Amino acid sequence: MELLDLHALQQTYNAQRILLCFNGPLTRSLIEEIGTALRNYLQSANTTASASTDVFGAYIEMTQNIRHYAASKGWEDHEASATVVIARDAEDRYVVSAGNLVDGADGDVLQAQVRALAAMDKTELKTAYKTQLRKPRDEDSGSGAGLGLIDIARRAAAPLACSLRPLPDGRAFFSLSVVI
Amino acid sequence: MNDLHIPASQSTPEIRTDSAAGTLLMRGDSYPENSFELFSPLLGWVQRYLAETVQPLVLNLHLLYLNTSSVKVMMEIFDNLEEAHAGGRTVSVNWHYDQENERVAELAEEFKEDCSFPFNIVQQ
Repeated sequence: MELLDLHALQQTYNAQRILLCFNGPLTRSLIEEIGTALRNYLQSANTTASASTDVFGAYIEMTQNIRHYAASKGWEDHEASATVVIARDAEDRYVVSAGNLVDGADGDVLQAQVRALAAMDKTELKTAYKTQLRKPRDEDSGSGAGLGLIDIARRAAAPLACSLRPLPDGRAFFSLSVVI
Repeated sequence: MNDLHIPASQSTPEIRTDSAAGTLLMRGDSYPENSFELFSPLLGWVQRYLAETVQPLVLNLHLLYLNTSSVKVMMEIFDNLEEAHAGGRTVSVNWHYDQENERVAELAEEFKEDCSFPFNIVQQ
């Protein structure tokens, strides 16, 4: 077996200012455990209570969206794989990112949703949030991500960013990133 | 009627009801993946209490972070209170928050916007 080049990994993590990352199947308990680690980090870094809530909230909504999506597709737990990264940017703001596999068509819908949210101001986001909140439960189960994405957009310090990389099998890798 | 005494877990709040006193307490964070399943006993208690008794109901909330599915459950509870209030029932909410965390006050404030019964946001 080839020896892992941990030094190269460390250089990448340092250059990208990655505090915490996870790659693999997400389970409910893993989301909680990583969340606790994240909160402990935020506390030790003297992050304000509001910023901590926003970073934690963005992390929870993103990872739970990924689990709900996999469940809505009837995928097994081990297929609910995600790549989650919490980092800081040059201005010391937190950046929460998550990526997962989606069906190509769902990816296009998601990307359109994120772009629409990225173009909204705080007032428009609040209206969109309240409208979505009032929708009957089963009506939004199709995408599931409705309220979560708006919640993330409302916590953001910059417009949401996303990308979609199509894969040969018709699926795509969807990445979402939010600056807090 | 049966009361609920549910201890807090990492992702769910402590829940205590007292039907004799007409109070419901919730304390802690709430971010379970399946909020509706988890909170259905609570929703059931609120609906039964409002239907089967004529006493006032006071919600004492010390909630911190809520994920969006928990927000939806809380909205449903407040909708029940709103309906009871419209029917002449005495209901109220006291939402306590730590001044350090303004996100909690903002969250409570948004719920309050849609409620016409007494909804007090109390700084600790």
